[in-house]
Amino acid sequence: MKIPFLIIGGGLSGLAAAIRFARFNPEVLILEKHHRIGGLNSYFFRNNQLFETGLHAITNYAAAKDRRAPLNRLLRQLKLSRDQFQFHQQIQSEIIFKGCASLSFSNDFAMIEEEIARKFPHCQDGFHRLVAFLHSFDPFTIAPFRSARQFLNRYIPDRLLVDMLLCPLMFYGSSIEEDMDLGQFAIMFRAIFLEGLFRPGGTVKDFLDVLLTHYRALGGSLRTGAEVSTILHTGGRIDGVVLATGETILCDCLLSTIGIEETLSLLGRPPLPQNSPRLGFVETIFQLQPALCPQLPEDRTIIFFNNSATFHYKKPDTAVDFTSGVICLPQNFAGLPPSTRQEIRSTHLASYDAWKELARDRHEYLAEKGKTADHSREVLSAITGDFSRAIVYHDTFTPLTIERYTAKKEGAIYGHPQKIKDGVLGCDNLFLAGTDQGFLGIIGSMLSGVSMVNQHMLARF
Amino acid sequence: MTREDIKTLILEIIQDIDDEADFDNLDPGKPLRDQLDLDSMDFLDIVMELRKRHQLQIPEADYPHLATLNSCVDYLEPLLKDA
Repeated sequence: MKIPFLIIGGGLSGLAAAIRFARFNPEVLILEKHHRIGGLNSYFFRNNQLFETGLHAITNYAAAKDRRAPLNRLLRQLKLSRDQFQFHQQIQSEIIFKGCASLSFSNDFAMIEEEIARKFPHCQDGFHRLVAFLHSFDPFTIAPFRSARQFLNRYIPDRLLVDMLLCPLMFYGSSIEEDMDLGQFAIMFRAIFLEGLFRPGGTVKDFLDVLLTHYRALGGSLRTGAEVSTILHTGGRIDGVVLATGETILCDCLLSTIGIEETLSLLGRPPLPQNSPRLGFVETIFQLQPALCPQLPEDRTIIFFNNSATFHYKKPDTAVDFTSGVICLPQNFAGLPPSTRQEIRSTHLASYDAWKELARDRHEYLAEKGKTADHSREVLSAITGDFSRAIVYHDTFTPLTIERYTAKKEGAIYGHPQKIKDGVLGCDNLFLAGTDQGFLGIIGSMLSGVSMVNQHMLARF
Repeated sequence: MTREDIKTLILEIIQDIDDEADFDNLDPGKPLRDQLDLDSMDFLDIVMELRKRHQLQIPEADYPHLATLNSCVDYLEPLLKDA
C-alpha cells in the first residue's frame, strides 16, 4: 500500500500531527508498535482497575480567553473544543529542599513571587528581572546550547534558589544532567510557573479516546501492534517503511516521533555522538484505601523535593537516587469528583545500566523493585505523612519497564540529551517530532507535531 | 463569487476557527490579526480552508494579501470569479 503521510509513533506528538493533517487530508496513517496509543502517557489495567502511566499533571494551563496561550492554540489547530475535556487545575504545589527552604506555587504566578519575596528577599529584584527577560525572550529561535544555570546565576545571587527553580523544570523535562538549555528552561518556566498545572477529567484513557475519536471522524487511520523495522530510502528520499511482519508501506512523507537515535537506526545510519548519558527514572504508584490515611495532604498536588545538601540532577551511581524526586497526589486537582480510590505516585532518577545489570538475575531484579518501592514509600512518608497501612496495591516501573512499554531507549523519558529543534534529518520528506525535537510535556509535544505538519507537510498536498 | 460572497466566506472561515470572534466592530480596512487576535497558525488555517473549499493554492509569498478583510477580497476576487 501507499499512503501520502505516514507517522511512526502513536504518542501525543504523533496523534496531534495526525489530527492536524487529517483536518485537511484524511490520507494519513499512524503506526504504533505497542497495542495501545499514548506513548509516555498511557495506561494499564490491574485488578480490573485502570492505572495511568506517565501523567502527573499537564503543564501550560491557560484560561479559555487567553487565545495566544499554547493550550488554546493547540486546541484551535486540532479543532478540539475545551468542552470536550474537563480541565481541573492544580490546588497548589511545592518545592521542598529539606532543612533549607520550601516554595509554594499555584496557577497564580503571584504566589511564587510572594514566596520568593518573603523567603529570598535578596533575590526578589533579580527574579523580577528574570521574569521580565523571559517575557521578551523567544525560546523558539533556533540557537546553540546555552547554559540555563549560568544564565540564572547572573540574575539570582543564591545557589539555593537557582536549584529550587531548576528542580521542577528538570524533573518535568530535562534530558541532560545538572543543567538545561536556556530555550528549554524558558519554555518550561512558562509552562510550569507562569501558566501552571492541570489535568483532564476522567482518566488519560478518556483523554486519548477523545483524540482518537476525533482523528477517526476526520478519516485518519491507525494501526497498533505495527512495529517498523526499517525505513526505506533512496538517495535523500524516504520511500516508505518495512514492518516487523515483513509488510512494506510506501509513503510520500514520513514523520518519526520515536526519537533521533531510534530513527537513525531504522535508517541504517550511525548514532549521534553522545557526550552525556540518557536519564532514566523509576516510578512507583501506591494505590491507597482513603479511609486508612486521613493525614495525607489535601492541599498539595505535586511536590518536588530534594533531601541532600546539594541538589543533583544526574544519572545515579546506584540503581535509584532517593535523595530527590517528585511526588504526585493525583486526587488533589480542583473540582475532581470524590473517589473511593486514592493514589500517591513517586518519581526518582535511576540508572538504566544498574537495572540492566540486575535484570540478568530475575530474582535480584524483582527484589530490587520491591526494595525500591519500600524505600520510596519511606522517603515520601517523611514528607506527606505515613501512608504504609493504607496501601492496597503498588507497582514500580524501572527504566527497563519504561523502555519496554514506551520504546524510549534506556527508559529515558526525555530522550536523547541532544535535541533536533528544527526536526530536520537531512531528508527532503522525513521529519522528527516529539521528545527529541525538544518540546516536552503533553502540550509541548502535541504542538511539536502540529508545527512539523504546518511547516513541512501541509503545503505538499 | 461576488465581493460580498467572498467577504462572507472569509468571515465564515474565521468564525469556524474562533466561534467567539466578534465581527460587529470589524474595520475591513484594518488588519484582521489585531482586531480578532489571530496568530500565524490561525492564518494558516484560513489558507488551508480556502484550499479545501475552493482548491486555491495560495503561495506563502501572497499571505500578506490576506491581512485585512478588504485586501482578502481584492486578492481573492479574480481567483474566485468562477466559483
